[in-house]
Amino acid sequence: MDPRHEIPRRAAGFSGGSVAESPAAAQSRRRKAPPRPADYKLQVIIIGSRGVGKTSLMERFTDDTFCEACKSTVGVDFKIKTVELRGKKIRLQIWDTAGQERFNSITSAYYRGAKGIVIVYDITKQETFEDLPKWMKMIDKYASEDAELLLVGNKLDCETDRIISRQQAERFASRISGMRFCEASAKDNFNVDEIFLKLVDDILSKMPLEVTNKDLSNSILSLQPEPEVPPELPPPRLRCC
Amino acid sequence: MDNEDRSAPSDDRSALVSEDGKNAKSVLCQRCGSKVLCPGMAQFAEKELFLPSMRKKTSISEPGGTMEGDTLTAHWLVDDMYTFENVGFTKDVGKVKYLICADCEIGPIGWHCLDDKKSFYVALERVHHA
Repeated sequence: MDPRHEIPRRAAGFSGGSVAESPAAAQSRRRKAPPRPADYKLQVIIIGSRGVGKTSLMERFTDDTFCEACKSTVGVDFKIKTVELRGKKIRLQIWDTAGQERFNSITSAYYRGAKGIVIVYDITKQETFEDLPKWMKMIDKYASEDAELLLVGNKLDCETDRIISRQQAERFASRISGMRFCEASAKDNFNVDEIFLKLVDDILSKMPLEVTNKDLSNSILSLQPEPEVPPELPPPRLRCC
Repeated sequence: MDNEDRSAPSDDRSALVSEDGKNAKSVLCQRCGSKVLCPGMAQFAEKELFLPSMRKKTSISEPGGTMEGDTLTAHWLVDDMYTFENVGFTKDVGKVKYLICADCEIGPIGWHCLDDKKSFYVALERVHHA
């Protein structure tokens, strides 16, 4: 009855002298040290064609309440999630682009600030794999060059219907420098936590130690409505396969 | 504003709000226990806000019409969304984004208006404290 996810979290009030303490946190110190503020803030986006399971992956990441019927009707815009890794407390701002699967309907702002990009396809659906080069074009065009890329073949629970072999996807990933690949099942919760933590770990590896909380927060999307300027699709001749 | 004047409507209110007006306990999702706020991270604030019912998930998106819900006045207020441990934001409903549990997506548990970038409210009645 308690499906609470067990990402290890450091107890509140852990460290007095943490890296970047906000003024608010400093003010709140009275009898005891305030909860440690996050050390890092990272933006992660999840992209991929319709129906590949992007939202399920986002939900699965920190919870065990996957339900096949619970397709979100309200429309979740993004989530703040906290993970602990390497003794650091990291706040992830996770954007699920579900409902915006037409490549040109995701605004460039989503890509721009992303430190991590999860590209999802469905191992049982050829077309979702064939769409990958188009997603890559968008990443090339809009995302920061040092954004970590993770290719995820989802729906591993549907192994019997598999169309895309692991090798095929590995080959695709190997052609793109720095792209990691794995398969997962949001339904069975296979590999889901791992892929996100791996992604965050890769991002942290690239972080200069002296980068402060404040600097990083500049890369975070604000809640202000983005001007809806759909990015142009790159001309077809650029397609690589 | 003045904590001295706050006549606690219930005894448990004083157990939840610390001397300096902050949340004495962790703020958790009522359904799945996901941690929304660490102790001491939010300010107690009173503001009349209408939150659609937690029962009918679809009611938020219904255009116009009568919406079931409650007008709630006791909230935890934070000025930065990164203060939250875990929280989800719905898509815009007018100028409002509702806050939901990041894990099980129950909600709305809170309220944010796009006009005030520094105010994020979580209704005390819609969360657990521990």
